[in-house]
Amino acid sequence: MQEFKLPDLGEGMQEAEIRRWLIQPGDTLKLDQPMVEVETDKAVVEIPSPIAGRVSAIRVQEGTVAKLGDVLVIFDTPGATSAPARPVVTTPAADSPAAAPEITSQVSMQAPTNGVTVHQRVLAAPAVRKRAFELGIELANVQSSHPSGRVTMDDLQHYIEHAQQESAASPPVASDRVSELAPAQANGARRSASVSFGKQQEEAEERQPLTGLRKRIAERMERSWRTIPHATAFDEIDGTALAALRQTLKPVAEQRGVRLTYMPLLVKLLLPVLKEFPIFNASLDEEKREIVYKRAYHIGIATDSPEGLLVPVLRNADQLTIMQIAEQLEHLIAGAQKRTLALSEVSGSTFTLNNVGSFGGSSGTPIINYPETAILAVGRLQEKAIVQDSKIVARTMLPLALSFDHRVIDGALAGRFLSRFRALVEQPQQLLLDMI
Amino acid sequence: MVVGDVTTAVDVLIIGAGPAGYVAAIRAAQLGRHVTLVEADSVGGVCLQRGCIPLKALLSASERYQQMRQESLAEMGISAETVSFDWPSMQAWKQSVVERLVNGVQRLIAGNRIELLKGTAWFINSEEMRVEGEELSHRLKFEHCVLATGASAAPLPDLPYDGQQVLTPEQALQLTELPAKLSIFGSDYIALELATLFARLGVQVRLYTPGDQILPDVDATPLRLVQAGLRKLGVQIATKADIAALDERPLVVSNGVRPNTARLSLDEAAIKITEQGGIIVDSMQQSSVPHIYAVGDCTGSRALASIAIKQGKIAAEVLSGQRVQFAPLVVPLVVHTTPELATVGLSAEAAERAGYSIITGRFPLAANGRALTLGTDAGVATIVANKDDGSVLGATVVGPRAGDLIGQMSLAIEMGATLTDLSEIIYAHPGLSEMLQESADHALNQAIHILR
Repeated sequence: MQEFKLPDLGEGMQEAEIRRWLIQPGDTLKLDQPMVEVETDKAVVEIPSPIAGRVSAIRVQEGTVAKLGDVLVIFDTPGATSAPARPVVTTPAADSPAAAPEITSQVSMQAPTNGVTVHQRVLAAPAVRKRAFELGIELANVQSSHPSGRVTMDDLQHYIEHAQQESAASPPVASDRVSELAPAQANGARRSASVSFGKQQEEAEERQPLTGLRKRIAERMERSWRTIPHATAFDEIDGTALAALRQTLKPVAEQRGVRLTYMPLLVKLLLPVLKEFPIFNASLDEEKREIVYKRAYHIGIATDSPEGLLVPVLRNADQLTIMQIAEQLEHLIAGAQKRTLALSEVSGSTFTLNNVGSFGGSSGTPIINYPETAILAVGRLQEKAIVQDSKIVARTMLPLALSFDHRVIDGALAGRFLSRFRALVEQPQQLLLDMI
Repeated sequence: MVVGDVTTAVDVLIIGAGPAGYVAAIRAAQLGRHVTLVEADSVGGVCLQRGCIPLKALLSASERYQQMRQESLAEMGISAETVSFDWPSMQAWKQSVVERLVNGVQRLIAGNRIELLKGTAWFINSEEMRVEGEELSHRLKFEHCVLATGASAAPLPDLPYDGQQVLTPEQALQLTELPAKLSIFGSDYIALELATLFARLGVQVRLYTPGDQILPDVDATPLRLVQAGLRKLGVQIATKADIAALDERPLVVSNGVRPNTARLSLDEAAIKITEQGGIIVDSMQQSSVPHIYAVGDCTGSRALASIAIKQGKIAAEVLSGQRVQFAPLVVPLVVHTTPELATVGLSAEAAERAGYSIITGRFPLAANGRALTLGTDAGVATIVANKDDGSVLGATVVGPRAGDLIGQMSLAIEMGATLTDLSEIIYAHPGLSEMLQESADHALNQAIHILR
């Protein structure tokens, strides 16, 4: 017997949501075989098996939150690494002929243990079994709606919905949908109330518990908004030179296989400003009442993912070339879409840049990525009629919105920060002055 | 070795273009991956070029010849006076079938924009392989690798294959002249099919099985019919034979296969293998190195193309980010003897051994109208079901087209169908499939066309 506890995943994470099991009780694991997907604050992380051995029990259900040190898995380990990891599918000819008549019986129709206990096959069509495996669900745990015990796609769907709702909602929030799907689980008062009006109420509104990434986003936004007195400074700057610069560099980058967007350029232009105004690359230690200036420049990039906002982090951005930033951004954004980012790639940012324009808005007031001190939102580049020397000219304008922690940053400083950034964006060649 | 060696980056690198490898390549290409496929020979692998396909082609040619000579034709009023065959022509026809299929596979590979390299490959480390052929030498760095190198006839300790006196099954299919006598050692479907093929063409065949019976793990009743069919063709069968004491020549030995993994330098990539050299994989076909997959015979699994094909698809889907596994409940086995035998799932004995309480049913071919109109009555269908819920666990069919009939029993088992399900549906009448329904009815004690 050996217990496996939720390990410290770094960055002070105290808990993680068990997202998906990749193993089942009875499986024989290889060392480092992925065991489980857990979701921490912003990342989905796979935890590999620390030993080779057979899984005796899984202690934490999918969808529930485990605390640091909670027992997740119990292994059978007679010796240290006894059972020489026996593959599921290969049938070594050395096995006694009686034990291995064919692959198929080994996989599922025969008792995997000693052949005496009958392995109860769950009656389910191949498509249902395939889906269950995809979702990491043990079919034996799924309740059948048929007297024969046959598990159908519908049963599987009910199981999933049920598991999600159970894990997310505490009883009082139990929704109308729950009571209809699983009458046994429903809370008495609500059910009697919904007998007559149930149908109509259901149509009028639908409740969905906050789970997964949505729940994290909500928690973080709440914390930031409640703790930090936000103030936002607006400006609109001339992006004509920036657009021209990008046009010039774009084909060159393309030849090297990189799609050059505005973001890498904006990051590069932002860095000298952050260095000149270190308070913007800092955080406030609320307990000790101390300002913590960060020496590293890890730029968070607010990114839309199918499940919600993610902030992948461009680490040590000040040590990267524009091309390197572009390459890393492509990787980070693709990773955010697929939710395959490592924990180090979504945490530890020191300042956050939010390209509101890419989401379709012209501008917006961003909420600070707690515990940072500021966040810069850049809007959509748009041609506008601008008065210059008493003449109307067409210029490509870039709206900016800088939210800052008013406890440590004053409005005047935010203004100076923006005007320095304006100077750099309007004359990007200034970058050359400080280049080594 | 190579001067000015440049590493080329590839996405998915697949080694071996047999049924496992080319299927993996096509599936990966369908899923948007860039695939490089390496094959030393032409595409199609052993199955297509030297194994299943040539054997089945020759079997069907020899069956036609043999059927023309049966007395039963006279009963139907047909006389065929001078029926003869020409072995070289038969071989040439077989080859034309093979070539047609090879061309088809080549077109699929090209049509899916898969890059095909002619050469052999081995690992430099867990991320790079060297590929060398007559006209090329590459150092390839891959994102994912799928090994599909197949297997070859297991060598015999003191009996080297010379292709003349001692032959592998593949070599037997390429004999340029038919021998007068042929001895065959083995008890698997390959040994039985070779015995059938040569006996039909008038070769005096002796079959030596290492154990007590042919086809271990098939129920006795159907097996007796196959054995009787072989005897009728003049095949002499001897059991418990010792290969060391066998001095008859030419001798074909069907002694199973050994994975082709020795030349891959698997150590360089730290890929783990079994004692027999099979690459150890999990149910998602991943080796001990997660981005390197192995499929088909090189994993040491049962050497069946049907398994290799499915595993190829699984590996391609897994490396493309899908979560799927190789977990069929059953794998059908077809033996092209006269009569033909096909079996899927558990035999009655294996089911009991696995701890099931079972009920069985059977139905003889002689009671099936369609069989009689085909002029044959040697055959049977047997079925094994779980007594607790009536779900079908296994089935065996002996008789004409057994290999095609068995597919519906695979479907029944995979879908968890019960005896009652089989009993309820309508089968075309008269038809051979009715045998399956009546065997299920027999298990339910309600078969019509046999007396209780």
